[in-house]
Amino acid sequence: MQGKQPRRPGELVFNIGMTLGSLYLLYSAWGISGFEALSAPGTVPMVTTAIMVICGALILWETLQKPKVTGERLDRDILPLPVIVTILMVLAYALALKPLGFLPTSFVFLTVMIRYLAGGSVIRAALLALLIVALVYGIFRLVFTVLMPPGIVPEGEILAFVRNLLSGKGN
Amino acid sequence: MDILTWLLVPIVNLDLLALIAVGTFAGIYVGAIPGLSVTMAVSILISFTFSWDVYPALALMIGIYMGGVYGGSRTAILLNIPGAPSAIATALDGYPMAQKGLAGEAIGIVTVVSFIGGFIGIFALAAFAPTISDFAIRFQPRDYMMLGMLGILLVGSLSGGSLVKGIFAGAFGIAIGAVGMDPLTFTERFTFDIPAMRQGVSFIAVMIGMFGISEGLMQLHTIKATAVKQKIGRIIPSWASVRRHLPLGAQTSAIGTVIGALPGTGGDIAALMAYDHARRVTKNPEVPFGKGAIQGLVAPETANNAAVGGAFIPMLTLGIPGDAVTAIMIGALFIHGLNPGPLLMTSQPDMFWFIVSALGIANCFMLIFGLTGIRFFVKVVEMPRTVLLPVILLLSIVGAYAVNNSLSDVYWMLGFGVFGYFLRLYGYPLAPVILGVIMSRLLDDNWRRAIISDREELDRLFMGILSSPLSLALFTAVVLIFVSKTPLWGLIFRKKG
Amino acid sequence: MKTKLIGAAIALAMGAMPALADYPTKEIQGIIQWGAGGSTDTVARAVTPHAEKALGGTIVMQNLTGGVGAIALNKVAEDAADGYTILFGAENPLLYKVMKLGDKDYSDFTPVNILARGTPILVARPDAPYNTFPEMIAYINANPKAVKFGSTGPGGLPSVVTAMINSKTPVDVTYVPYDGDGPALTALQGGAIDVMPAVLGAAIEAIKGGKMKPIALFDVNPSAALPDVPTITSTNPEFADYLPWGPFFGVFVKKGTPDDVVAKLVAAYAEATKHPDFVALIEGRGFTMMSLSGAEADAFLAGWQSTTSWLVHDAGLAKASPADFGIPKP
Repeated sequence: MQGKQPRRPGELVFNIGMTLGSLYLLYSAWGISGFEALSAPGTVPMVTTAIMVICGALILWETLQKPKVTGERLDRDILPLPVIVTILMVLAYALALKPLGFLPTSFVFLTVMIRYLAGGSVIRAALLALLIVALVYGIFRLVFTVLMPPGIVPEGEILAFVRNLLSGKGN
Repeated sequence: MDILTWLLVPIVNLDLLALIAVGTFAGIYVGAIPGLSVTMAVSILISFTFSWDVYPALALMIGIYMGGVYGGSRTAILLNIPGAPSAIATALDGYPMAQKGLAGEAIGIVTVVSFIGGFIGIFALAAFAPTISDFAIRFQPRDYMMLGMLGILLVGSLSGGSLVKGIFAGAFGIAIGAVGMDPLTFTERFTFDIPAMRQGVSFIAVMIGMFGISEGLMQLHTIKATAVKQKIGRIIPSWASVRRHLPLGAQTSAIGTVIGALPGTGGDIAALMAYDHARRVTKNPEVPFGKGAIQGLVAPETANNAAVGGAFIPMLTLGIPGDAVTAIMIGALFIHGLNPGPLLMTSQPDMFWFIVSALGIANCFMLIFGLTGIRFFVKVVEMPRTVLLPVILLLSIVGAYAVNNSLSDVYWMLGFGVFGYFLRLYGYPLAPVILGVIMSRLLDDNWRRAIISDREELDRLFMGILSSPLSLALFTAVVLIFVSKTPLWGLIFRKKG
Repeated sequence: MKTKLIGAAIALAMGAMPALADYPTKEIQGIIQWGAGGSTDTVARAVTPHAEKALGGTIVMQNLTGGVGAIALNKVAEDAADGYTILFGAENPLLYKVMKLGDKDYSDFTPVNILARGTPILVARPDAPYNTFPEMIAYINANPKAVKFGSTGPGGLPSVVTAMINSKTPVDVTYVPYDGDGPALTALQGGAIDVMPAVLGAAIEAIKGGKMKPIALFDVNPSAALPDVPTITSTNPEFADYLPWGPFFGVFVKKGTPDDVVAKLVAAYAEATKHPDFVALIEGRGFTMMSLSGAEADAFLAGWQSTTSWLVHDAGLAKASPADFGIPKP
């Protein structure tokens, strides 16, 4: 069907990876319970991973038939710099969330991302970030009481203090 | 005449009316934000409404439920990130419409058909609750298994260009659904001896990653391009266009009601099945499916809102939850000193009719709130992407974290986001992966129950299917759809010709 | 007037200050081991608002499911032992070690309150051709493998009750697995399974409504909620060896939590369990109120673990011997 479409950079490697990955998953599914019984917990996983292996092989065969694309490059059309930076930023966010806490991490993340993508001044980016963090904090933390990791800002205590002041029941 | 007085309770009490309105309004946002779910909101409300009377507490919860099921479509259309699993099918044609500058029109039609679907579900609840619950309860494991097979066959509709890639993606989804400790035997599956993998992969994290993150990464390619200018034309669809889709909407609402009423399935499966139904019965759509077909919006949105009324059917007639939200509501009724069960309808008919009425009112508020403010929402798409994209990323991360307060879900989300990005680049359809995850347990658990019940003998299972009219009907549907979607069809056709 | 205002403001600030130093100074996170809408969830959410009042703080409730409750247990065990993360759990963790589901159990926790205990009941679909336990056994023996028992995985209530039955009157039946007693009882009403050992609270309304048939109550005394259902010991007195036995719900904090914090939580939950609304909920759902804390709670947990671990071990369901973990024979 797609035979006429040219092969994109990295496509062959990706599809080889898919097929090998499927083979490994099939091996892992076989390890769950082997061919113990029709009702064994490994039966459906084995069937599905076997289907993955077959389809993966077919896709690989199709890919091999395709002519290589001209005019596309891996570093420009598949993994341009902004994509790599964004992936790394999200990863950094996840790593920093526990030790630093929700508020500082989100603020820094947004400031850097907006500055990087939109350009402009850092102050504009920081102000925008502050506004968005305040909104997200309001919705998730205050309205839906999702407890995000507090980290270095003792926001739980501050909130309780403010609430106590507001309700006037200090003791 | 008692019924009328009970029905009037939420209408004449202004405070109840206001609570339903507030609930519906809040629900639309809960539904629209990925990571905030109706289930979560209703759980929080149990504590929040603890000291209230049961009517006001239920009024608020019902509003949230109705609004939330509808709200999921907002982000699906505008950003290609379904706010809730039941809006996955909506994204398939809704987002392409927004890309053409027709976001306002898409939201308008979705709002109106959601309202229609909602009412059909509520009508079914009011008129046929005992009949439908008698039917729904009789589904055996083998019937659920075949329902799962029907679901998996949707891969054919969701694959876009390459069927092989679609099947690969669907099978991969089923495998993801099996990761973790198997809930039936406590066997570890695909955990690779990593303790953190025992709890499995959060389905919401997969969904947010596959849709939200990978879409965000794709958009980075064209980040400097100006956003699609939205046409501010007609938002409320014309009566003529609504009427044209009414027959389809009625059919998909019926699908939604029944799937909602089944204790093992909910609005997400209903919407996907309805989408598939629309593709089958719509012979010549003006716009092809997947490119912005109106029918692709009408079907899932009528079905998931009809499923709300459907989910209340087993809850109110038998005390059996129709989905996760009604399960929590049963808990809430217990806490408020009521005993939901088969006797509720006879001992407290007022409760039944109150819920019917509150659902109807919530449905009306949904229409009103849904149609107002569309212009404002549509502006979201026109925001500069350079600012919108970081916000989407942040919301995705927080949403994935909020599902289980777990950092590992954030890593899953990122992993599936990056993986989904490559799948997109190399022409794999993403929807079948999500479909596979949704159907995985329905198919796997019920296959095992069915074959165990028939003593591990395939011929016994097969005879069982042949001996029950319901199973036979489902089996026929599975076979027909399978044949029609695979090259087998062409083979048989050619032989006959 | 002005001085009065300032005085009030100072008094307010002064009042707020000590409140910050005393537990609780911020929201407490309450982790529920099971999903929203289940028995543990309902009981936890019903008792906590009363405890919040007694405690003068807020407890944010959250469901954390998976791994038969081990995910929630481990999360609380990993957090600091400061009383700001509390666990609402059921009986399952006491079997984690022998089932190899985890290496932590309630011995890593301090019980705040063992709230209530459930009673197992054997129910059948309404048109099943037997009405009593001996009739059911006779039918099973006459039709081996034909009767379908619902089960919820090794270590759950159905597996323990089935182990009790098998140790006294071995039965040859087919076990159909479900992921919880809710779905299994639904399947029972639809005829997909024939018999299900369940907790009384989950079956009570369906029994009253005639949608399922009670076979026997697994207790030595009849239940006040369903006084007509015969106890298993009235027909088969040999079961008295294991009874009374039942699942339970409790509130726990990590071991090492400061004594004054534990004392405050214990007092708050003890107070909360006395609230008439909560008492009504517990009794209405067929549970038995316990409200145990301190040494009593420890003794209860140890006794439960000993009985049940050895029972599942002797039934061949356990993956490790209780002796490996120093769990004494009952």
